[in-house]
Amino acid sequence: MDAILEIQNLSKRYGDHVAVDDISFSVPRGSVFGLLGPNGAGKTTTIRMVMRIIASDSGTVLLDGQPVDDDRRRIIGYLPEERGLYKKMKVLEHLVYLGTIRGIRPREAKKRAAAWLERFELGEWATHKVEDLSKGMQQKIQFIGTILHRPPLLILDEPFSGLDPINTRALKDLLQDMASEGVTIVLSTHVLPQVDELCSDICLINRARPILLGSLDRIREDYGGNTWRVSSDLPENELAALPGVTSVHPLGDERLLELEDGQEPRDLLRSLVDRSEVESFTRFIPDLENIFIRAVEEDKVHVE
Amino acid sequence: MLNRILAVIRREYLERVRTKAFWISTILVPIFLGAVMIVPAWLATRAGGEFTIAVLDLSGRFFEPVRDEVDRLLSGEDEQLSVKMVMQDPGADREQLKSEVQKKFYDGLLVIPATMPDQGQPEYVAPNVAAFKLLTVIERSVNNVMVADRLTSAGLDPEAVRELTRRVGLNTLKLGKGGEETSDQGQTFMLAYVFVMIIYMTVLLYGMYVMRGVLEEKSSHVVEVVISTVKPFELMLGKILGIGAVGLTQFLIWAVLMAAISAPGAVAAVGISGMELPAIPAQLLFFFVVYFVLGFLLYGTLYAGIGAAFDTEQEAQNFQGVVTMFLIVPLVLMVQIINQPDGTLSVVLSLVPFFTPMLMFLRMTLTQVPPIQLVGSVVLMVGAIFFCTWIVAKIYRVGILMHGSKPKLKDLVRWVREA
Repeated sequence: MDAILEIQNLSKRYGDHVAVDDISFSVPRGSVFGLLGPNGAGKTTTIRMVMRIIASDSGTVLLDGQPVDDDRRRIIGYLPEERGLYKKMKVLEHLVYLGTIRGIRPREAKKRAAAWLERFELGEWATHKVEDLSKGMQQKIQFIGTILHRPPLLILDEPFSGLDPINTRALKDLLQDMASEGVTIVLSTHVLPQVDELCSDICLINRARPILLGSLDRIREDYGGNTWRVSSDLPENELAALPGVTSVHPLGDERLLELEDGQEPRDLLRSLVDRSEVESFTRFIPDLENIFIRAVEEDKVHVE
Repeated sequence: MLNRILAVIRREYLERVRTKAFWISTILVPIFLGAVMIVPAWLATRAGGEFTIAVLDLSGRFFEPVRDEVDRLLSGEDEQLSVKMVMQDPGADREQLKSEVQKKFYDGLLVIPATMPDQGQPEYVAPNVAAFKLLTVIERSVNNVMVADRLTSAGLDPEAVRELTRRVGLNTLKLGKGGEETSDQGQTFMLAYVFVMIIYMTVLLYGMYVMRGVLEEKSSHVVEVVISTVKPFELMLGKILGIGAVGLTQFLIWAVLMAAISAPGAVAAVGISGMELPAIPAQLLFFFVVYFVLGFLLYGTLYAGIGAAFDTEQEAQNFQGVVTMFLIVPLVLMVQIINQPDGTLSVVLSLVPFFTPMLMFLRMTLTQVPPIQLVGSVVLMVGAIFFCTWIVAKIYRVGILMHGSKPKLKDLVRWVREA
C-alpha cells in the first residue's frame, strides 16, 4: 500500500493521563481517511503531534516515507479544531498572509485567494475586515486559507463543527471533488453520519488506542457479516430458535438475525416465510454509527 | 524561515501602523510634551504689558527715586514690560484710590508710608498680585531706593555701594567630552528627563501591545492555524520585532517633527525668543535608540510570555504588575542617580539590565559615563534578553495552546522545565 502518511507507535502523556497510547496507522494515498472516536479519545492530540504543534513522547510520523519536519509539514493543509482569524485584518490580506507563511509568493497567493473568494461568492468581501463577516463566511475564509497552497494532504479536525446544514453539504461536495482530484483527506470527527458517505478508510480511536482500523468496506463486511434484517411478526424467542440463527437483536420494528458462517440466507428466508408474514428481508449493512457503538462497547467489555 | 518571520513582522507592523490610535498618539505626544516644555517659557515671555500704577507717597520724597529705579531696572531688560508711575496727592483718600484701582483706572496702588525708610513697609494693592515680573520690579525698586537712602544717611555713597554689592550670577557650564564648555541652564537635563520618560512610556506601551497581541491570538483561536506552519518562537519573535518597528517608526516621525521645529527660523516663527532647544549630542540620540530597542526587547519578551500564559488581561494582571514594577523602579531611583551620578550605587543600578535603559541613559546626560560601562550595560542587556527569550519561548510554546484554568507560578516553572 502506498501511504502518504504513516504514524508509528505514537504516544503522549500529560502527567498521569495517557492522551495517546502507542497509536500506529497508515493513511493510503488518495483516500478519505476518517479518524474517528468519542470526545477525548486522543484524536486532536494525535493530529497535533503529526503537525508538530506538540512534541510526542515517542514514535515517528512519516510523510511520503520521510520523517516529518518543520519544512515538510507545510505541504499539509491543516484545519485545527481550535481555529480563528485575525479579526482586524482584511479578508484578502488575511488569505495572502496565510498563503505566505505556507510558502507561496504573495502575488500568487493573492491571485489564488481572489479566485477562491469568487468561487465561494465572497468576492465583494475581499476588502472588508474579517470581523464584518458572518460566522459561516469566516469558516469559508478559514477553509480557503487551508487549501490555498494546494496541499496534497488535508488534515481537517472537526471540519463540520459550527457549519449549518447547507454549508456542511457544500463542504462535503468540495471535499469529494478534491478527493476525486487525488487529494488525500484525513477527517477527524466524533459526529459519524457526517463522514459516513465520505470515508474510504477509518481509524477508530477509543481511550487513546485504535480499536478499529482499515478500509470501511471491509469493516462493514466484518461487522455486517452474515447478518440479515428482517421484518416479521414472529416473536423474538421463535426467531432465535430458527435453524442456523445464532443471535437476535432488535432494530426498531425490525430484527437483526445473525447466521452461522456458511449458513445460506435463502434457507432462513424459507423457514421465515413458512411460519409468518415477512414484510422485508435484506442484508444488513452497518452504518458507521452502528460499528462505532459496537466497537466501543466491545472495547469496554474487553477492558473489563 | 526568514520569509515567514518577515511575513509575521509585516503583518504585526501594518496592523498597528494603520490604526487611528497610532497616528493620534504620534501627533498628540509631541504636542503634549511641547506644551509641557514650551508653554511655561512662552508664558514667561508674555508677562509683559503696560501697567499704570498709582503711587501714594506719604513720605513725600520717594516717588521720583522709585520711578527712576523702575525705569532703570526695566531698561536693562528686553521684556515688553512698561510701568508708568503716577504720583497722587499725599492728601488723597486711600479708599478712593482703591476704588479707582477696582474700576481698572489704575492697575495697582503703591503706598509708601511716611515712616519710611526707618519703619513700616510699603504696600501694594492690586486685583492681580500674581503678575510675578511686575511685582519683582516694584519690590526691587522700592527696596533699592530705601537701602540707598539708608546708606546716604549713614554717610556712604550709594553709587559706590551699588558697585561694591553688585550681585555675581552663577554661570553654569557643562563640561563636554573633549573638554569643551557649553552654556547650560538645565535644558539638557530637562530634555534628558523628557527622554527618560519617553523610554519609560514607549517600552511600557509597546510591551503591552505585545501582551495584548498574544492574548488576542489566543482568544480568537487563530494561533494554532499560524503555528502549524510558523514555529512558535518565530511567531513570538516576529510579533516582538514588528511591534518594535512600529515604535521606531513613531520615533522617526517625532525626530522629523523635531528637526522641523528646531530648524533655523522655525523657532522665531513660533514666536518664542529666548527659548532655545539645546542641541542634543548625536551620541545621546544614538544611545536613546539603542536603549529603547534593548529595553523593548527585554520587556516585550516578558510581556509576550505573560500574554501566552493567560487567557485574559484580568487573569494576567498580577504577573503583568510585577513586570511593570521593574519598569517603575528606575523612575523612583532617578533621584539617587541625579544626586550622585558617579556613585557606586548609581553605577551598579544603571548596570542592572531591567533598569539600564532609563538609568544609564540618565547618567549619560548628567556625567561622563566611562565607555566600558556603556559597553558593559549593552552586553548585560543582550545577555538578559537572550536568557529571558530562552525561558519565555518555553512558556510561550506551551501557553499559547492552553485554555481554561489559570496557571500559577509553579505551573509556569513546570512548563519551562518540561518544554
